[in-house]
Amino acid sequence: MDCYTANWNPLGDSAFYRKYELYSMDWDLKEELRDCLVAAAPYGGPIALLRNPWRKEKAASVRPVLEIYSASGLPLASLLWKSGPVVSLGWSAEEELLCVQEDGGVLVYGLHGDFRRHFSMGNEVLQNRVLDARIFHTEFGSGVAILTGAHRFTLSANVSDLKLRRMPEVPGLQGAPSCWTALCQDRVAHILLAVGPDLYLLDQSACSAVTPSGLAPGVSSFLQMAVSFTYRHLALFTDTGYIWMGTASLKEKLCEFNCNIRAPPKQMVWCSRPRSKERAVVVAWERRLMVVGDAPESIQFVLDEDSYLVPELDGVRIFSRSTHEFLHEVPVASEEIFKIASMAPGALLLEAQKEYEKESQKADEYLREIQELGQLTQAVQQCIEAAGHEHRPDMQKSLLRAASFGKCFLDRFPPDSFVRMCQDLRVLNAIRDYHIGIPLTYSQYKQLTIQVLLDRLVLRRLYPLAIQICEYLRLPEVQGVSRILAHWACYKVQQKDVSDEDVARAINQKLGDTPGVSYSDIAARAYGCGRTELAIKLLEYEPRSGEQVPLLLKMKRSKLALSKAIESGDTDLVFTVLLHLKNELNRGDFFMTLRNQPMALSLYRQFCKHQELETLKDLYNQDDNHQELGSFHIRASYAAEERIEGRVAALQTAADAFYKAKNEFAAKATEDQMRLLRLQRRLEDELGGRFLDLSLHDTVTTLILGGHNKRAEQLARDFRIPDKRLWWLKLTALADLEDWEELEKFSKSKKSPIGYLPFVEICMKQHNKYEAKKYASRVGPEQKVKALLLVGDVAQAADVAIEHRNEAELSLVLSHCTGATDGATADKIQRARAQAQKK
Amino acid sequence: MAAHLSYGRVNLNVLREAVRRELREFLDKCAGSKAIVWDEYLTGPFGLIAQYSLLKEHEVEKMFTLKGSRLPAADVKNIIFFVRPRLELMDIIAENVLSEDKRGPARDFHILFVPRRSLLCEQRLKDLGVLGSFIHREEYSLDLIPFDGDLLSMESEGAFKECYLEDQTSLYHAAKGLMTLQALYGTIPQIFGKGECARQVANMMIRMKREFTGSQNSIFPVFDNLLLLDRNVDLLTPLATQLTYEGLIDEIYGIQNSYVKLPPEKFVPKKQGDGGKDLPTEAKKLQLNSAEELYAEIRDKNFNAVGSVLSKKAKVISAAFEERHNAKTVGEIKQFVSQLPHMQAARGSLANHTSIAELIKDVTTSEDFFDKLTVEQEFMSGIDTDKVNSYIEDCIAQKHPLIKVLRLVCLQSVCNSGLKQKVLDYYKREILQTYGYEHILTLYNLEKAGLLKPQTGGRNNYPTIRKTLRLWMDDVNEQNPTDISYVYSGYAPLSVRLAQLLSRPGWRSIEEVLRMLPGPHFEERQPLPTGLQKKRQPGENRVTLIFFLGGVTFAEIAALRFLSQLEDGGTEYVIATTKLMNGASWIESLMEKPF
Repeated sequence: MDCYTANWNPLGDSAFYRKYELYSMDWDLKEELRDCLVAAAPYGGPIALLRNPWRKEKAASVRPVLEIYSASGLPLASLLWKSGPVVSLGWSAEEELLCVQEDGGVLVYGLHGDFRRHFSMGNEVLQNRVLDARIFHTEFGSGVAILTGAHRFTLSANVSDLKLRRMPEVPGLQGAPSCWTALCQDRVAHILLAVGPDLYLLDQSACSAVTPSGLAPGVSSFLQMAVSFTYRHLALFTDTGYIWMGTASLKEKLCEFNCNIRAPPKQMVWCSRPRSKERAVVVAWERRLMVVGDAPESIQFVLDEDSYLVPELDGVRIFSRSTHEFLHEVPVASEEIFKIASMAPGALLLEAQKEYEKESQKADEYLREIQELGQLTQAVQQCIEAAGHEHRPDMQKSLLRAASFGKCFLDRFPPDSFVRMCQDLRVLNAIRDYHIGIPLTYSQYKQLTIQVLLDRLVLRRLYPLAIQICEYLRLPEVQGVSRILAHWACYKVQQKDVSDEDVARAINQKLGDTPGVSYSDIAARAYGCGRTELAIKLLEYEPRSGEQVPLLLKMKRSKLALSKAIESGDTDLVFTVLLHLKNELNRGDFFMTLRNQPMALSLYRQFCKHQELETLKDLYNQDDNHQELGSFHIRASYAAEERIEGRVAALQTAADAFYKAKNEFAAKATEDQMRLLRLQRRLEDELGGRFLDLSLHDTVTTLILGGHNKRAEQLARDFRIPDKRLWWLKLTALADLEDWEELEKFSKSKKSPIGYLPFVEICMKQHNKYEAKKYASRVGPEQKVKALLLVGDVAQAADVAIEHRNEAELSLVLSHCTGATDGATADKIQRARAQAQKK
Repeated sequence: MAAHLSYGRVNLNVLREAVRRELREFLDKCAGSKAIVWDEYLTGPFGLIAQYSLLKEHEVEKMFTLKGSRLPAADVKNIIFFVRPRLELMDIIAENVLSEDKRGPARDFHILFVPRRSLLCEQRLKDLGVLGSFIHREEYSLDLIPFDGDLLSMESEGAFKECYLEDQTSLYHAAKGLMTLQALYGTIPQIFGKGECARQVANMMIRMKREFTGSQNSIFPVFDNLLLLDRNVDLLTPLATQLTYEGLIDEIYGIQNSYVKLPPEKFVPKKQGDGGKDLPTEAKKLQLNSAEELYAEIRDKNFNAVGSVLSKKAKVISAAFEERHNAKTVGEIKQFVSQLPHMQAARGSLANHTSIAELIKDVTTSEDFFDKLTVEQEFMSGIDTDKVNSYIEDCIAQKHPLIKVLRLVCLQSVCNSGLKQKVLDYYKREILQTYGYEHILTLYNLEKAGLLKPQTGGRNNYPTIRKTLRLWMDDVNEQNPTDISYVYSGYAPLSVRLAQLLSRPGWRSIEEVLRMLPGPHFEERQPLPTGLQKKRQPGENRVTLIFFLGGVTFAEIAALRFLSQLEDGGTEYVIATTKLMNGASWIESLMEKPF
């Protein structure tokens, strides 16, 4: 372990930088890196190489090959480049490869070399060609910045929501800038460019000259510039071999360094870690790598091979033909523990644990020492943290063992940080594996989040590993396993060599009813690949009809969509399909389809009732639904027709329909109504006044009220109004007229079929006691008491009640006895009651 | 604000709060001042969820009723339409929007569909060229609205007609409403049902549950079971005149969204002696729910038992006011004064209900009411149901309100398992001749709904059903009831009897009768994860959610409350329905007027 810090290089007094190997590269490169366009995605992402034949004028006859490798050098894709000359390559945040062509066209490829889409950077770019291009990352996504042959810049801050912005002109710019970069400040993308000794900042509206604060004099040109991963810092390399490091606003200088090398560096990138005070940039020349920071000395490495730098959140990755290394500032926790002669609690704890394993009593001494200082908690935390920053599993283990050992001596140490670190490291070690090739550091992993990591595994089609991770971390199914399975299924449907049945079955076997899996999404994907039958099979597994139906409609499986919609019970969904079908099918087919679906039919009828009355009629006709057809024509006779002839005709049609429906009653009633309508028309003509649309009953009443008794009688006879009702009718009408004479005549015309109590009642209603009394005497015995009470003859009522010996009648009379006037009568009743009881 | 919702076994305030939250979230989406344009039908139900103050807090400055042509002027940023998804309303909205566009400064339009967004309506808006004008088009799933601590209603006007004569949209809403309820109160482990619609709702629920498999419901179930009942299983009950206090208020004056409008004369303070000079002309509007202590006590009583409660209450209150003479010390006076607001409220409440009771008494003591009730009770107890009834004849002859006549004829038909063709035709002819031929459409609707029908097969099942289910009880105690039959003074509502028998001893005992009633009966289980399975404490009552598809009456609710309160009942009920209704409003919903 003494040599553990051998690869630590001090920079100034306070920081160490170390470089260690991630992988020895497995790729078998035919080309030198320097002959290729290279793009490596951050967060341990893939590497794309495209031999750049367009650089040398002549060799255009051979088509170049675009190759994509994992960070460990495993080939992911290789394809012959058939499009135009490429100026620049870059990876988007979603790990899509953007290839910027000379004509401003941008081709987008997936990780596996699958073509996704393409877009253009605009006409201006097309005309002036692309001189240089950069792909950069912002909080919205990935952007593209283009320098055209006319020395103008065009950029788009987010390629998935393409909005092109042409930047203003730089005054007096004749040639290409010596170097430039895209910057992102206050959520807006800018361009910083260097022309000779001047720097310009371009934003959407203006071009402003800027000067770095505290820049050493004598600069006649800037050769290289670098923005930090987070866009907070900027470094400038001048032709004097001087490096200025400061904030991206150029307003504050952090440090400067003079390396005395005037050759333009191949690459310059920042190397700093989040929350660290140290700032350093890594500068690479052909054979030399230099780390410079706020220190008089720099760290120098020799590069054996042509190398490429990839800036990361917390360091720099350096890869070449044979190796892939990581260079970073040693994290505080590691430094404290491993620094030579460190007495930090973590360092002591690690020592203690080692001694303990050797069964040496020194273990106790160390432990005591930490405990005396009360730093055991801190020591455990340090060890846990440091473990996270170790790349080698054996080191991780020994640090975690130390932490675990220290934990034993603590009463209440919350276990989650330890457990979580163990889990995280397991995940990290798994994905760092050579076969997977995602060399994430702990900090990067935390920044990226597990969700994004899973997405990236899915992109690499590493479904089993992704699922294992989900299960291991016990992620909720919807976010974890089901999501991955859904992605897997979407990939599966693209395998064209497998039959529809097999794919559908395989998918259903794996997915089953896993919550949160959207079969319709998978089906949509299958449909997108032209596999309609597979899509339909997959949709069978979709439980949500709301999702099934639109896709089925899109696939022109309207009838299937209809039955699915009906199954759901969602009438709105059914309507949607119906209207779709209506446009798609001819009328006959549409009606036939409806016929087999009663629910859809009744819904459509509802719709027609309000929207398309004529169609409603056709529907009933088709079904031979004569009863409804009859009702339909009745409605029409009221609503659609004005003229009496039209109305009667509509009713005739209705009556015919009712006959066909074997509804004799309705048919007869309708014929009666036709007669009545004609008659009412005649009455209006002959007598004036309003008769139309009165009921038969009211027509007769109106006639009586108008004094046309004869006609009333005739009508009643013609329509066979039952005697009882006719009596009621006449009685009411005559009383309304207060034609007491006629009423009396009527009452004597024959024996009343409704008795004479109604006569009494109606007279009393008109407050004619005199007339009422006439009829009271004629009321039958069982209603006599009631009648007498109505006309106010309490005494006689009492007599009748006593005579009837009817208890109910007696109490009725009694309840009508009021105050002193009826006192005698009341007594009489009481006596009669008493007598009745004696018996 | 709505404390009475939380008195019951199930806290329905949770539901109310959930829907209020949803409303607030929607309003906040439309930043800035707003005007709401209301589909008028929605204002009543919304009043139970959110008062104007809530809307005002969210910058609602103006409210209009949705009608054609232009909107009234309003200086607001947002105009929000609150509408049911109906095509005819979309036409009006389009008219509004188009005329507003001409007017000047651009407004933000939004549309809130209640209870569900509709593709059909959006298509219509698109056809009319205004769909793009709406920034937010959302749905507000206001399916079940809490009316009281144990009562939920969808207040969907045409639900019965829809279910049995048209399409089944309201069943879908019912199923959705039940899903919302389960999301808040846990999965209901057992579902029972009787009737075709019940079967469909249960199917939809099971299907929807499958759609939501992703989100495991981890709420401990509050309801032990759900009973879905089709209204057409029991067409009889709503036709009879309700005889509970609340039922009678509804029969006579009509309760709308828990409010009743009463003739104002009875509510004039008596002291003013200036001879009825300025009698109020506007109807007296009262809210009726169990937040009012006295009303909670008397609402479900038979009306004949209300008087004694009121007079007892009167004595208690005047005694309480007399207490002031005994209050001697400052402390005693202070205590008296502190009780004063409560006592005054109680006195006000007593005065109101005494007035209402007087109003009702005027009706119930009338001869005609008595005659009608006699006929109803004869029918229900199976007397002379197979021939033309002379009271009904007289009613027609005297042109009593058509609804009353139809209600009686339907009652007779239902109590006789259909009328003899001759009797039926006679009634129909009488009705058409007297009230007008156009009612042939209404009669046909009633026939389609099964309320009025010819007897087929010549068998009258009703007597068997009546006897097996003990629907007619001769020894009814109106004052201290021992059986649910008190709500109709003798007739025990069939629907409630079914619920009662389900809880004890179970439906197996009445299989034969169940087969006589329309539609299938069934039982479904919704499996729960072991952690959520209930271990019932001894003596703990089960909670049953009973859902009436097609409407429920106040008398039925009273009967269920009576069962809930039984000492040894074993089951407490929460009632849900598509609509609170009575015989009159029910028949009216089935009537069709072609002009």
